[in-house]
Amino acid sequence: MPSNHNSIKTRFTYRFARSLKKLNKNRPASQSMKETYRRYHMIRVASYASMASAVGPKRAWSRAVLWKIRNRTLHRTLMKKSRIHVLRTRKVSGNPNDLRKLVPGGEGMDFCRLLNETAHYIKCLRTQVQIMKNIVDHCSN
Amino acid sequence: MDPPLTNSASFTAGSNPESYSLVELLSFPMGSGGRLGLRMGSLSGTGEGFGVGDASVEESTVTDQSGSRGGRNGVGGGESGGKRRMDAGNFHEDESSKLVSTSSANSDLNEPIGKRMKASGSRDENSVSKTKAEANSGTSNKGAEEKSKPEPPKDYIHVRARRGQATDSHSLAERARREKISERMKILQDLVPGCNKVIGKALVLDEIINYIQSLQRQVEFLSMKLEAVNSRLNPAIEGFPSKELAAPTFDATGMIFGLQAQREYSQGPQVEWLDMQLSSDIKAA
Repeated sequence: MPSNHNSIKTRFTYRFARSLKKLNKNRPASQSMKETYRRYHMIRVASYASMASAVGPKRAWSRAVLWKIRNRTLHRTLMKKSRIHVLRTRKVSGNPNDLRKLVPGGEGMDFCRLLNETAHYIKCLRTQVQIMKNIVDHCSN
Repeated sequence: MDPPLTNSASFTAGSNPESYSLVELLSFPMGSGGRLGLRMGSLSGTGEGFGVGDASVEESTVTDQSGSRGGRNGVGGGESGGKRRMDAGNFHEDESSKLVSTSSANSDLNEPIGKRMKASGSRDENSVSKTKAEANSGTSNKGAEEKSKPEPPKDYIHVRARRGQATDSHSLAERARREKISERMKILQDLVPGCNKVIGKALVLDEIINYIQSLQRQVEFLSMKLEAVNSRLNPAIEGFPSKELAAPTFDATGMIFGLQAQREYSQGPQVEWLDMQLSSDIKAA
């Protein structure tokens, strides 16, 4: 159903552009390194959040993303932990637990459901990357 | 199992024309082969004077049931289940007596069915299975694969017995789960580029993990870039009034893109333009 996916695409674009605009509006004048990193982090979170809200609550991974972002402090600790973990266990090949940690909300799923969610998540991530690339291209030239 | 079945079919069609005429057999367009096999199976169960040995009751009942099962398989036409059930039929033909004598669970399950079939007579059996066969042939081929799950577990018991595995519902559920997993792995393999040539579940999972990580890294990189670009765009975007949150959302998007392209977008062309921009490698959901 291409129309469905197109609607996810456009919904994501609208939401992301809106949040980018909001981020731009109340940004301070300082250009310190820390401030830059903070803004980068917020843009990334905004992109994930807009994708998750574009998908809606019917998918487990989008629900997990939205929940994590809503509880922001918990989200930060989780992100730190997961990044360290990914760096450490990169050599282990084909462990389904690695996949569980990559797909949001995948810790509590059985394997069938995990694979299902992974397929949808990959599709949505691809769309996200494509649209972000387009925005960058059209903003930078 | 099939060649002897077809032979006996032609034989009985010639010898007993009053009971099973060829016209009646050919009058059903779909799955006539399956129904043919079914009748021959039930006929061989009753042992009406042709090649199947009626040395013992158990043997005849077992071949009887395998014959009927083969018939239903032909009607259903599922490619996945077909071979398995044919194997089961072969097995029963070869080692039916041993199966009945050794495995108590199977004989317990097989015998009442066979005796009931014998008691009810071949005519009733045929009518019952005919309706079942027609119900099966009405569905499409894809439906036949899914139908194999809600079917009574009688079909799977033979498969389990052939492999020497347990016949309880847990292993049946496990088998269905494994099939589901492999099917989804195939979908994922199609989704991840360069994953089609990889063999083995672990390696495929590794590829998937790599791909997701690369995508997430791309998102990080792009948001870094967007941060830089956004700061350059800042005064231009800030010049606009902040009413867009209440307005329809496409206004904001149109503004961001319209800033660069110096064109006016309504909603329709905007969506079209987006679709043109996005490469077509994103498959439909």
